[in-house]
Amino acid sequence: MQEPQDTEGRPDSAKGVTGDLASRIASAKRERQLEDNRASGGGSDNSGIARGLRLGSEFAAAILVGTGIGYVIDQGLKTSPWGLLIMLLVGFAAGVLNVIRAVAEMDKEAKASPASGAGSDAVTEKPDDF
Amino acid sequence: MAGTDPIHQFVIEDMIPIHLSGDGTAGSGLNLSFTNSSLFMVATVVAVSAYMLLAPGKRSLVPNRLQLTSELMYEFIANMLRSSAGKQGMVFFPFVFSLFAFILVANLFGMVPYFFTVTSHIIVTFALAMLVISVVTIYGFAKHGLKFFKLFAPSGIPAPVLLIVVPIEVVSFLSRPISLSVRLFGNILAGHITLKVFTGFVVSLGAAGFLGWLGALLPLTMGVALTALEFLVAAVQAYVFAVLTSMYLNDAVHPSH
Repeated sequence: MQEPQDTEGRPDSAKGVTGDLASRIASAKRERQLEDNRASGGGSDNSGIARGLRLGSEFAAAILVGTGIGYVIDQGLKTSPWGLLIMLLVGFAAGVLNVIRAVAEMDKEAKASPASGAGSDAVTEKPDDF
Repeated sequence: MAGTDPIHQFVIEDMIPIHLSGDGTAGSGLNLSFTNSSLFMVATVVAVSAYMLLAPGKRSLVPNRLQLTSELMYEFIANMLRSSAGKQGMVFFPFVFSLFAFILVANLFGMVPYFFTVTSHIIVTFALAMLVISVVTIYGFAKHGLKFFKLFAPSGIPAPVLLIVVPIEVVSFLSRPISLSVRLFGNILAGHITLKVFTGFVVSLGAAGFLGWLGALLPLTMGVALTALEFLVAAVQAYVFAVLTSMYLNDAVHPSH
């Protein structure tokens, strides 16, 4: 007998408590989501050194591969030095392409998390097409 | 000075020598020796397998801590793969998860003093990267046949321009295993050498009396900070490798950009 009387005594406040709880859960979930986004977005390439190494290796690898292919072509066709020279330039272009793609993807990640949207907005429009 | 030689930690030693069809001299025949690198690869695989088999435990609805960590790891990779390669990419989940777990645990094993770091050798990371690219290429051709070549020719480009674009795209594709392997290897190698050099300073300065002791405080702080950074790098590089793997797998699943 005691319990129902208790809740009947203050139904508004009881409802208030559950309503409050629901909104608190909702806001906690929202905050958690934001934090998750921030963590997953910033976690991959948070430190500058990681970003630098990423871009550097993308660029250098393409040039090395292009030059290597050119050298092999020259060896096979006896066209030295033209294959090497042309494929070096192609490798350079591929390196730039790699870097643009990597930056576009980093930018997308940074956009997804509002906290770490660090500059470089000018490049976002174009590279999304790649 | 052997104690502070920063490169010494990467030396590969035969533990069980197995030489096939050679006359015993260096470089002849096939060297299948079980090395310290092999030992730590086996240890990594055993550790990952044991953890993933034992951690789920009773598979209770309300997980205990150990089960929770394994489920977090599973969901982390599953979400990452789903977001970058889509639903069809999920057939590669076991592949991506194994790669991630192997690299992560190998990197973390490397952080234990006197342990060998498997991923600090480029041939290991290159083998992993070639595995990824082979899977991408073979699956792409098996699934799409010749349409897989669309990967190199973005749609809506006039024929004369294709003459320039296709070689660039091909070189860009071929550079992937190189950049993938060099990044992981470079990060781990550089980190371990830096760590060794700085902590080596502590030893050499500490031998120089009281003033040396005071001076040794600086590299010691750096050593502590670098250790924390190396743990971060170990996890981040495993994650980056897994992310890029799933992005390349996305190309195999959906070759037209």
